[in-house]
Amino acid sequence: MDIIVPVKQVPDMERVKFDTEAGRIDRSSASGEINPFDLNALETAVQLKEKLGGTVTTISMGPPQAETSVRDSLARGADRGILLVGKEFAGADTWATSYALAAAIQKLGKWNIIICGEKTVDGDTGQVGPEIAEWLDIPHVAYVSEIRDASESGITVVCEMEADHYGIESPLPTLITVTKDINVPRLPSFADKMKARKAEIEQWGASDLSEFADPTNLGLKGSPTRLNKVVIPSEEGRKGEVFRGSPEDATKKIADALQALGVLGSAK
Amino acid sequence: MVTAEALRGIVGNDWVVTASDQIELYRIDSTPPAMMPKAAENIIVVKPSTAEEISQILKLANQDPTPVYVRGGGTGMAGAAIPTRDGIVISMERFDKIEEIDTRSLMAVAQAGVTLGDLLVAADAQNMSFPPHPGDEGAQLGGLAVCNAGGARAVKFGVMRNYIKGMEVVLPTGEIVTMGGKLLKSNTGLPLMHLIIDSEGILGVVTKVTLRLYPRFPGTATMVISYDDRNDAINTVPAILQAGVIPLAIEYMDREIAELTANYLGMKWPAQQGTAYLIVILSGSNEDEVYSQAEMVAEVCQRFNAVDTLMAERREEQSDILKIRSEVQSAVSPNADSLDTAVPPGDIGTFMAEVDKIAEKYNTKIPVVGHAGDGNLHHILMQEIADRGILDDIKLEIYDLVMKLGGSLTAEHGIGKKSIKLLDRYLDDRQKQISRDIKKAFDPNNILNPDTAIVP
Repeated sequence: MDIIVPVKQVPDMERVKFDTEAGRIDRSSASGEINPFDLNALETAVQLKEKLGGTVTTISMGPPQAETSVRDSLARGADRGILLVGKEFAGADTWATSYALAAAIQKLGKWNIIICGEKTVDGDTGQVGPEIAEWLDIPHVAYVSEIRDASESGITVVCEMEADHYGIESPLPTLITVTKDINVPRLPSFADKMKARKAEIEQWGASDLSEFADPTNLGLKGSPTRLNKVVIPSEEGRKGEVFRGSPEDATKKIADALQALGVLGSAK
Repeated sequence: MVTAEALRGIVGNDWVVTASDQIELYRIDSTPPAMMPKAAENIIVVKPSTAEEISQILKLANQDPTPVYVRGGGTGMAGAAIPTRDGIVISMERFDKIEEIDTRSLMAVAQAGVTLGDLLVAADAQNMSFPPHPGDEGAQLGGLAVCNAGGARAVKFGVMRNYIKGMEVVLPTGEIVTMGGKLLKSNTGLPLMHLIIDSEGILGVVTKVTLRLYPRFPGTATMVISYDDRNDAINTVPAILQAGVIPLAIEYMDREIAELTANYLGMKWPAQQGTAYLIVILSGSNEDEVYSQAEMVAEVCQRFNAVDTLMAERREEQSDILKIRSEVQSAVSPNADSLDTAVPPGDIGTFMAEVDKIAEKYNTKIPVVGHAGDGNLHHILMQEIADRGILDDIKLEIYDLVMKLGGSLTAEHGIGKKSIKLLDRYLDDRQKQISRDIKKAFDPNNILNPDTAIVP
């Protein structure tokens, strides 16, 4: 079973600062790391490899410093890591990102399953995984929380949509996106970390994908999405107020105050 | 006894509580229930917001002699905060402001009711760090100060005492005094501030603390090292320090405790192999420095038969491991008792092996967690030991052993109200008398937290 796991480097979202006036993320304020959902995807892939044999390859598209995330994926069990890097890829929306990743996957040639995290914590769209499947014209199942069975011929998964659980069978090749419920990613061993630090990371530029990708569809040029404005909501702290009077009066005052804040409907 | 009416005159009607259902939580702390002193019935809880209000309360309590107990986060494990006589409980919950994170002098100035968790967040937001992790993040700074809390991450930079640089204190007689400041050096007269640190709330009410901060470490990592034999794990600890690596923390945990705590928190303990674990937290000025320390640690562990070495670098993976370690006491509760002894770090292997012999002699098991790098182990005495009536015998054998090794009865939990008899057994008479004299000098009417920390 040969598995591909696309991973994205994202800022540590608990630490990252926002420039509210410019409406952008200050990426220098927090270190980059593998998108947390992609860790679940990687763990799913490594577990499948342990069960069925084969290989796990990770692909990331990003700036040169995204190499650290590719290295981390090697420490966590991937056999090969590829970074798509270069100014041609910069400014890509989900359409152009999935296009580039799909081209790289075509270039790899031999694979059975692509496993993605359900979304990234910075973009939060959940679109790139399914879009890769569309570019490659293969089936996909999103929001997978369990793999019931997997073999060389197909995969049976449970996916969660709204409040329902669906059992779905898919032939291979296929793409799935996984939720955080599917597993708890293991910690890498120190020995694997050291090995990954010294590993050669393959870097592919736009010219390496020329057989599979039209350069005008890459990066900002290939992105139909235009960002007009980013609004960063201000953080509201806790507030307290003491209401006095008889229990009836105080209750009424509390209800009125909550209605005024829009958190309670009007009393009938 | 001071009346609720008189207290309302000081802090206002809203901040005095007498209803029994509302004061129940102020009558207990985190001491193992079997060891918890019994709280008195007639308690008035008062919630001042300024040092001046506390001063007035204490003056009143001296005029009309009334015991006064100070309440922080309630995370103490020796019953120090429990009001054992009818009297007043001063809750510090309204002292919750962080006044300043001074990035020029690398100091934080915060009121005593600020929680450890809030301080860590505030420091981090300014790219600063407060390196120690003295236990529960709900603990309040005033309590951490007067208990000289230790916890994990004390190996490299020390316990609370090493960070406290200044204090505002209301003395038991009502005077408001300031001690120290944003100072790394100050030799002005007797170090009274350091007497208040670790006094367990009997010498004054701390209302504000100045704490030393460090710049946030650019590189950190947490290693989890697995062993099949707990003696191998413990014997590794002095060897790591001798190798020239001083980690922020070297913690020890038995497998059953690690898994029990992870389950209790709804988490998963990351190590699959081994029955005994060391957690080593490293810090450095960059990733390369951390890796070079990690290589040295891994090499030492290998020599002591480690079976697996994991390494977390992501912030949330590191904090998950620390969380599991920090929540052990809550997860194993209730138990008969949880000891808090320390021995010289170089003797920790002997100590562990000798306690195992005691357990064998009594045909029982004594799980262990501890701040191994500090020589501080928490032996957990299960309820089964109390049920068999051998609790006191086992404890005394362990304490005698600790004394023989030149150790301490309590490394970080304190004497509180729980261990006065123990102190009486092992402390010499002259030191007992000096302690009583000091208490009398600060608190002539013995109103502040009586029955705590000293032998009467």
